[in-house]
Amino acid sequence: MPASEPVRLGRKRVLPACPNPLFLRWLTELRDEAREKGLKTQYTYQKALSSLNKYPLPLRNAKEAKILQNFGDGICKILDEKLQRYHQENGADAQIQSVSSAAPPAGRADNNSVAPSRKNSAGDGGKDRAPDGKKKRREYVPQKRSGGHAVLLTLYRQSQIPDSKGFMFKLELQAEAQPLCDKSFTVPDLGSKYTAWTSVSTLIQKNLLIKTHNPARYSLTEEGLALAERLAAAERQTTEEEEEEEEGPGVVDLTGSDDGEGEEDRTHPTGSAAGQQSSDTDASCSSEKPQSSQTTSRHQGGGCLLPGTYEIILCVDFIETTGGSNHRKQELVKELQRNRVNFDIRKLNVGDFLWVAREKVTPVPGQLRVPAGRELVLDYIIERKRMDDLCGSIIDGRFREQKFRLKRCGLHRPVYLVEEHGTAASHLSLPEATLQQAIVNTQVVDGFFVKRVQDVRESAAYLTIMTRYLNKVYQNRTLSCRSRELEGDVCGAEEERGVPSCSLISFAEFNHGAVKNKCQTVREVFARQLMQISGLSGDKAAAILEHYSTPHSLMAAYERCASEAEKEKLLASVRYGKLKRNVGPALSRTVYQLYCTQGPLS
Amino acid sequence: MSLLRRAKTWEISDSEGSDAETKPDLNPEVATETKEDQSSGDQNRSVLPAAAGRQSAPSLSPPRPQGSGTPSPTRKRRTKEEIEADRQKAKERKEERERQRAARVQEKEERREAAERLKSLRPENCLKCLTVRLDPALLQQDGSDILLDTLAAFEWRFSIESQQLSHSITWTRDLPQQGEDVSVEEEQVVLVLGLADFMDMVISVKRMLDSEGEETERGSFLSPLLECLNRDAQKVVTLLVIESNYSINACGEHPRDEMLQSKLGMKNVDIEEVLVYLQLCKNISLVFLDGWQDVTDHVCAVTKALSKRPFKLLTERAELPFCVDGSWASGVRVERDGSGLVEVWSKQIQQLNRVSPAVASAVTASYPSPQLLLQAYQSLASEEERKGLLAGLLVKSGGKERRIGPEISARVYRCVTAQNPQLVLD
Repeated sequence: MPASEPVRLGRKRVLPACPNPLFLRWLTELRDEAREKGLKTQYTYQKALSSLNKYPLPLRNAKEAKILQNFGDGICKILDEKLQRYHQENGADAQIQSVSSAAPPAGRADNNSVAPSRKNSAGDGGKDRAPDGKKKRREYVPQKRSGGHAVLLTLYRQSQIPDSKGFMFKLELQAEAQPLCDKSFTVPDLGSKYTAWTSVSTLIQKNLLIKTHNPARYSLTEEGLALAERLAAAERQTTEEEEEEEEGPGVVDLTGSDDGEGEEDRTHPTGSAAGQQSSDTDASCSSEKPQSSQTTSRHQGGGCLLPGTYEIILCVDFIETTGGSNHRKQELVKELQRNRVNFDIRKLNVGDFLWVAREKVTPVPGQLRVPAGRELVLDYIIERKRMDDLCGSIIDGRFREQKFRLKRCGLHRPVYLVEEHGTAASHLSLPEATLQQAIVNTQVVDGFFVKRVQDVRESAAYLTIMTRYLNKVYQNRTLSCRSRELEGDVCGAEEERGVPSCSLISFAEFNHGAVKNKCQTVREVFARQLMQISGLSGDKAAAILEHYSTPHSLMAAYERCASEAEKEKLLASVRYGKLKRNVGPALSRTVYQLYCTQGPLS
Repeated sequence: MSLLRRAKTWEISDSEGSDAETKPDLNPEVATETKEDQSSGDQNRSVLPAAAGRQSAPSLSPPRPQGSGTPSPTRKRRTKEEIEADRQKAKERKEERERQRAARVQEKEERREAAERLKSLRPENCLKCLTVRLDPALLQQDGSDILLDTLAAFEWRFSIESQQLSHSITWTRDLPQQGEDVSVEEEQVVLVLGLADFMDMVISVKRMLDSEGEETERGSFLSPLLECLNRDAQKVVTLLVIESNYSINACGEHPRDEMLQSKLGMKNVDIEEVLVYLQLCKNISLVFLDGWQDVTDHVCAVTKALSKRPFKLLTERAELPFCVDGSWASGVRVERDGSGLVEVWSKQIQQLNRVSPAVASAVTASYPSPQLLLQAYQSLASEEERKGLLAGLLVKSGGKERRIGPEISARVYRCVTAQNPQLVLD
């Protein structure tokens, strides 16, 4: 079969075909299932898998497998059941040892597609084999229609588009890859906490995928590109074979889109329009040339919420409701309940309160779970501070840090809700005047709205009225979803006063973007590291980063220096800050000592 | 060889740019000549030996510093053209030097100006440019003297003149950089009201909201306020409401509650509704105060905040993707002899997400300097081994013994050795 040639060529080593591909596949499936559920049995299946892999002879039934190490009665029984079902479906004569073509969605497999495509994550990777040194590490190839497979293919197709940006953002990638994957990228299966997106970390670990920047950008490594190329070729080949068999490309398209729709319905029962769109993409993807035109349009098209199809809900950060020996925190929730406020407690990565417009969804007949409605975040975000909190946060620096994060969270109307508690502030560790100045600064310098209340009850009243008011204001508005990642932040200033903003970001994107300690880049860590030297301020670190943006590049620069004296002065004349001052010899020397001392530091 | 050495020192000083005023003049002639020999200063080392060879071979003597402009003694006969060419070259060099000098002077000038500009933005200087403008109506109220007295005591500039909005305080800021009489109006507006006036306003707004846009009687404070905001939507108005004879009575109720209830049966909910409307639609905030002392304090706080703002906005400009304030950023003091660096090294490792001090000290105990860690990485053959170098190191914390995991080990490795600054570590 000449068509399979390029696929084989890409492999470093032709895998010896396992004589028992069906058992192998079933065991792999069992193991992956168990792993996704976090069950210990995954290890049992893994052990059995390794034994099976080593066994060179074909097995006629599962009983025969019992002679193998790690094959107990349980596994044999499961395999036998599967085998029976298989025979029922394919006839008693169906060969089980040789390669067969029964794999459901993967369709007609060519000779090597059933060859073990194993899914190894870091935990067991490598441990179960290669104790004998001559055996090479088996290459990681994600299963067809798995998350990893879909992500690789999507990135590959994107990279083939002329003038593509060379990377994809998370939301983009998920949306594009979803039609190629059986599992949902966003909603975990019942009883599991993993989604298809989980496989991305495996891809990164296997050095197939690289994640850079913040917000994260995903692109293929060279190895990833090579693998994805082969996957794409295999995919094409499958399609071609289908075409040959079915005679006529029109038929193929039809089945392709039928399949796609079916998948969609299973995973995302929301709206037939969305399903239709993705199946379109699916169909075009399985045709020979990937089409670029559809890549972005779908994302924006799906995000409109018409008046009446959504409700405004107050979101309360769970920190505001839990913990604390005093009952103050419960008080707020109780008060909100008493006021019949439509609110939801969840983890907010920035701020204490905000509002979402949540799509109203109705249960789908035959579905246990109500499909998740879309959620867009309104432009208001509230940080609540009691006077003593304020005092503490000024002292430990959280005050500035929080304001910094609020300013960058993507919501344009930050509100500082200050609970003054009458004269209770008088015995705090900072003078009243300092606290008042900090509050006024928040309004004047940072441009936040400052709302002053006396106590929790008044806070609850305020939140109640705000919720009601926002409900009223948004009664007749059509909302559209915009993405910060794809479109950047728009300036909020253009919005007229009193006219609420209707182009909103999704809650998921908002909250993901606000994670405090996510996605550290090498550059960021290096900046923070440099700032650990006393006297090396943020602007000096930034200036050094202009020249040397990684520890590696700084070390390399030191190595290029001809003498120790030169190394010592390497950073002395780096200019920093508004005044373009020199970093200076003393600090340059300290950094030199830190990075160039050959022995232990003191 | 000496030539080579000199050429190098010159290169270094050149790479430092205009800051290196002291060095290049030590031996300008040699420097410039060498530069030309090296195909105009391109720091290409492969060219260097050839250039040095060509010049030093015939004479075997280092070029003379005093030989400025004079022909080298080894070149005996020179044609007129050659002399002319040399002269031309010398002229060009001179011009080049002068250009550099001029550039240096200019840059110095620019830096001085930048420093001046920055200096003028410092809060203490900004404060001198601010004028607090008070509406005369305010001064008719009892107790308002304290505001005037305080402003005078601070020696802040203030003026008493009729404002667009009666009973309001505004601020203007002079812009001395842009000429004598240029000033801008700040967006902050403070409106001082008595409780009764405020209640009138609340009732007017309430009526306005209930009538859903129909023209209603707006009262003496509300309509000028709304007009003012219509004229300039950027204004940020704060209502300072003085609750005279402010005292919380026995049952903890504020006097305004009583007053509200007595007036048209208005409840707290109604007032809150009005305030939310003012916030969302007009960006108006509200502070209840118990007298002119508080008003004065507030006005002073706003003035100070305004004086701080230009500098803060300038320095706040985000160069780094995180807030540079906070206890983590204070840094470890390092002495001249380098003591303290081991703590810096440990703190550096802690800058990676989810790396505790205990884990960091486990790393620094085994590899007590970045160089030692790097050497350990270099001694390992495979990527896998290097990634896993730190995995398994014993961590001692609180009696329990744990080991560093493969994930942290790999992250430290990538952080130290990665060449892509944008690589995400998590």
